[in-house]
Amino acid sequence: MRIVACTEGSFGKLEPFSLEMIAAARGAGVAGDEVVAFFAGQELEPAIANLGAADRLVAASAGNAELIAAESYARLLRDTVAAEEPDLVLVPYSANGLDVAGDLAARTGWPLVSYVNEIRRDGDRLTVVAQVYGGKILAECSVPLPAILMVNPGAFAEAERRSVDPSKLQHSDATAVVAEGKVRLVGVDVPSYDSVDLTTAERIVCVGRGIGDEASIDIARGLADILGAEIAGSRPVVDSGWLPKVRQVGKSGQKVKPKLYLALGVSGAPEHLEGMSKSDLIIAVNTDPKAPIFNVAHFGATCDLFDLVANLSERLQAASGR
Amino acid sequence: MKILVVLRMIPDSAGELELTSDGRGIDREWLDFQLNDFDDHALEEAILLKEAVGATVVAVAIGEGSNRVLQMAVARGADEAVALEAEGDGIIESRAIASSIVALARSKAADLVLCGVQSTEDLFGQLVPYAGTLLGWPHVSGSSRLGIEGSALRVTQERGGGIAATYEIALPAVIGVQTASKAPRYVSGSKLREASKTAIGKAPSEPAGFERSAEIVALRLPGQRGTGENLGDNPENVAERLASILAAKGFAGV
Ligand SMILES: Cc1cc2nc3c(=O)[nH]c(=O)nc-3n(C[C@H](O)[C@H](O)[C@H](O)COP(=O)(O)OP(=O)(O)OC[C@H]3O[C@@H](n4cnc5c(N)ncnc54)[C@H](O)[C@@H]3O)c2cc1C
Repeated sequence: MRIVACTEGSFGKLEPFSLEMIAAARGAGVAGDEVVAFFAGQELEPAIANLGAADRLVAASAGNAELIAAESYARLLRDTVAAEEPDLVLVPYSANGLDVAGDLAARTGWPLVSYVNEIRRDGDRLTVVAQVYGGKILAECSVPLPAILMVNPGAFAEAERRSVDPSKLQHSDATAVVAEGKVRLVGVDVPSYDSVDLTTAERIVCVGRGIGDEASIDIARGLADILGAEIAGSRPVVDSGWLPKVRQVGKSGQKVKPKLYLALGVSGAPEHLEGMSKSDLIIAVNTDPKAPIFNVAHFGATCDLFDLVANLSERLQAASGR
Repeated sequence: MKILVVLRMIPDSAGELELTSDGRGIDREWLDFQLNDFDDHALEEAILLKEAVGATVVAVAIGEGSNRVLQMAVARGADEAVALEAEGDGIIESRAIASSIVALARSKAADLVLCGVQSTEDLFGQLVPYAGTLLGWPHVSGSSRLGIEGSALRVTQERGGGIAATYEIALPAVIGVQTASKAPRYVSGSKLREASKTAIGKAPSEPAGFERSAEIVALRLPGQRGTGENLGDNPENVAERLASILAAKGFAGV
């Protein structure tokens, strides 16, 4: 079996999930299978320096694009799939992957399973486990080959980082493909961390939609202050404008790993867990005992967050005032 | 400009989800269905575009409670409401409904298809790349801002790590909305009552355009993965335990 593992990187950095795709491909295969890493980006160095765990690297670089739009990435991947005739293509569940996986599936007619956490070979098919309903239900699926899987970042351990042997690299120039694209990049915004950089914070209090309204953020902020923690939010809280974008944790926000992560009214959707599940100590408060946040929490409580914050703030304050 | 916006009714994931006896589906009998959150943002973005540059907005809904949500869409500013017939009453698979959405985009002569970037039932792939590719139109998933510059669409897309890319695309196009440029608006009861008189069109479902697909063998509830400790639901007890846990780990000045 031949497996194409899609990887991504921009601004001189490889996305860490790229190494997870290679590990997932190794795990899905058996001895003798071949894992081909696919990369498309402005510069190749991060891919060449890190993707040596794959058997080969097929890479396209486009000096004219700071970021390769998914449209161009998908087209380059299509060419690679036509040439390599793989049995399986692994695409990371990323902003880019969301456009790429379905595009390839629509053009090839191959089955696609999204949000995959586990992959097992079952004769000439695969059995995969995917997350649905915000991580509340797992779906075991049987998949005929060839197929495409969109894999959750964080579900597989990273493959070892080592450089690609020059004889295993096949490089092409993608400048023309990018120039032909209908989706034209006109700007890239990189967040400014002048105000706060959550990735270096040691303590974080994160509020989710369970906080209810903007005014209530202050209640959580009070507890954060007592704990010497930064305040952060899930996507809906940031979308509502209750906290600035730099304070969003998760897939399209920051990936954090503090010593303490206190989640208040956060359900723990896979896109949120991706940004915080590696924190040292996770405490979650959520009235729904089935909330997926409890799957990663070290301590969980199912009481109302407002009751808890009031009680805990009072206790901590009394203790420090002593 | 004509905008087709897709509204999918999905089970409320915050509620209790129970499996059917054959373990292949979720028990829909007592479920609450609600509009897919991202589709709500797509609707808002469609109305914002209409207000900014003028457009006709056709809302198409699928699933249980479609009529109710279409009335809400009209109350918010949609010009036309269409209920798409669903195949069976199971999961709304974007892979399966893509061909119906494509047919509607063509018959309504839409220049722009907007829908949520994903739904919680998108197991077999997302609507945006399927519809975009089948239509032969460019598609971008995960927008946080849309606007019109001259004759082109300007899309800001959220990438990882807080990075946002802005693209320009000539229409027609399919966009997967993650966040509308402004939070979805509320509508008054009087507007809703008025909208309840709107005629709702019907569209038949087209056969799914794909032959082979993966299939669900079994659904299950995730086992408690972590070795986490449950501190219970009494706030005073929880606060007491947490205060001592935090103190023991050096996070509080006890
Ligand atoms: C491409 C993509 C990228 C994304 N990126 C991100 C990201 O970066 N970060 C992110 O967070 N999400 C992201 N998401 C969204 C994600 O899928 C979820 O929608 C989001 O994480 C849900 O946020 P939440 O937990 O705050 O809200 P909900 O899921 O609505 O959960 C609210 C929770 O609060 C609980 N609750 C309510 N009231 C109380 C109370 N009084 N006391 C205690 N608990 C209460 C409820 O039981 C519920 O579990 C992304 C999605 C996509 C498709």
